[in-house]
Amino acid sequence: MKILKTISIASLAFALASPTLAEVRFSGFGSLVAGQTLEDDEKLNADFYDVGQYENTTTFKAESVLGLQVTADIAPDLKATGQLLAKGTDEFKPELDWYYLTYQAADDWTLMAGRRNIPMYYYSEFSEVGYAYPWIRPPSNLYWWQVTQFDGFHASYDFSTENYTNSVTAFYGNEYSNDNKEMLYYAEIGNRQLNNAAIVRVDEYWTDIAGFNVNVIGDSFDVRMVYFRNDRKRIDTNVNGETAIRASASGFSQQFYGIGGNINIDNFTIIYDANYVEYDDDVGTVFPTYLISTVYNIGQYQPYLSYSKADHWQTKSDNDKDYEEHYMATIGLRYNLSSKASAKLQFDHFEDEGDKATGWDYHGNSQTVSAAVDFIF
Amino acid sequence: MVHLTLFEILIPLERVMKKKQGKKIVLLATTLLFSSLSFSDMAVIVHPDNTSTFSNAIIKKIFLGKQTKFTDGKIVIPMNASETLPTYDAFNDKMIGKSRTQINAYWARLVFTGKGDLPKVLSSDTDIVSTVSVNQGAISYVDSSSVTDKVKVIANF
Repeated sequence: MKILKTISIASLAFALASPTLAEVRFSGFGSLVAGQTLEDDEKLNADFYDVGQYENTTTFKAESVLGLQVTADIAPDLKATGQLLAKGTDEFKPELDWYYLTYQAADDWTLMAGRRNIPMYYYSEFSEVGYAYPWIRPPSNLYWWQVTQFDGFHASYDFSTENYTNSVTAFYGNEYSNDNKEMLYYAEIGNRQLNNAAIVRVDEYWTDIAGFNVNVIGDSFDVRMVYFRNDRKRIDTNVNGETAIRASASGFSQQFYGIGGNINIDNFTIIYDANYVEYDDDVGTVFPTYLISTVYNIGQYQPYLSYSKADHWQTKSDNDKDYEEHYMATIGLRYNLSSKASAKLQFDHFEDEGDKATGWDYHGNSQTVSAAVDFIF
Repeated sequence: MVHLTLFEILIPLERVMKKKQGKKIVLLATTLLFSSLSFSDMAVIVHPDNTSTFSNAIIKKIFLGKQTKFTDGKIVIPMNASETLPTYDAFNDKMIGKSRTQINAYWARLVFTGKGDLPKVLSSDTDIVSTVSVNQGAISYVDSSSVTDKVKVIANF
């Protein structure tokens, strides 16, 4: 996959250096988001993957983001795309987040190779593009995975029938997330140790990620289905440099199932997403999650309500239900400032229903107010 | 076509109104109605050699990036009018059924996931007509008054 990165970046560099040979397009998106929790001891994970959190003082760093995309036509039917992302959680240090090649093999066949987001939840592939959805963020208590991207291959087949536009995409890839930020955060707040020494680095590997998406778009609705599987492995490193595979999070595979989409009825848009993740570990871990949201479209205003629920069960344990559990209830308003910018105001109530005895209530309840300006260019 | 239909509506309407109101007001109303409606008479155009079949549903699919080939098998090159032209909003409203914001949110999702490229943008009716007249795959829209015999009108809105 290093080769793919080199090819993608070299193609982009080449295209940029010789604009007469290739058409180069620049576009971008951004969100300026400020927020805080209402009470002193409250904390909200607004971005699990990058550990973007709100506490009781206003911050712009938890979720603000700026993205720049460069696309270059490098040969007939072949494009190179790079996405540079600067996030507040990383002190706005720009990172080349996505880089991939797109080959239009035939009118209805598209092949992609390179680094992209795993198409997990309905909004996973464009979760950073705030302008493209009504809320300030897709509900973070669902978009909680420590791995969101991978290096891989995609093959898409598009076909349409009289009333529907459809596509099927198959994908395969791997992600070796060294020094995973979210996993290190959990190790730190849980005072995790290896050989009686603090863990200072966690590597999270998702390998042989293989699955497919099916999309059906009608005039007033769309449905997206997803399935994928992958193998899991986690490696801890302590302050003395000793490493060990964490048995409880390694040596098993996971399956991800989901169905989501939009339904438009008059001025209302209903957004739904239901997902089920299953480990084939000894205790039969499963994570059922769902989102339901209603948006009312009136002129330039879009008031909305959302409810998202996440559960964690161990289907093969004597105690099957007393683990992580939380819901998020959201009310907010989007106002379109122009055709390329919108302002949003949102209130989130996060209720931690995790089991106290087993320590799974580690998120804590919170009430958060956030405001955002999202734009594209 | 629009004018003909209007006449059919307006003549009996005028008769009814004449009975109730002064002639001057009716004439003024008719003039206003005519000027605003003829202004919004716009045409979807393609290359004159394009023999594909079209419907409003097909045009909508083309401009949402969901259909990439004409029925004759040629690759489609959709071209949008600049946002500064009155045809842009009229086309989105009447043919696509979406506002500017909805259109932009729709494309943001496709563009930033690498699943679509925005249609090219042309800045004037003159540019659009001359570009469509020399590109077999082109499809765009202009004010009806800008149409020449070098392009073919496939729909009015």
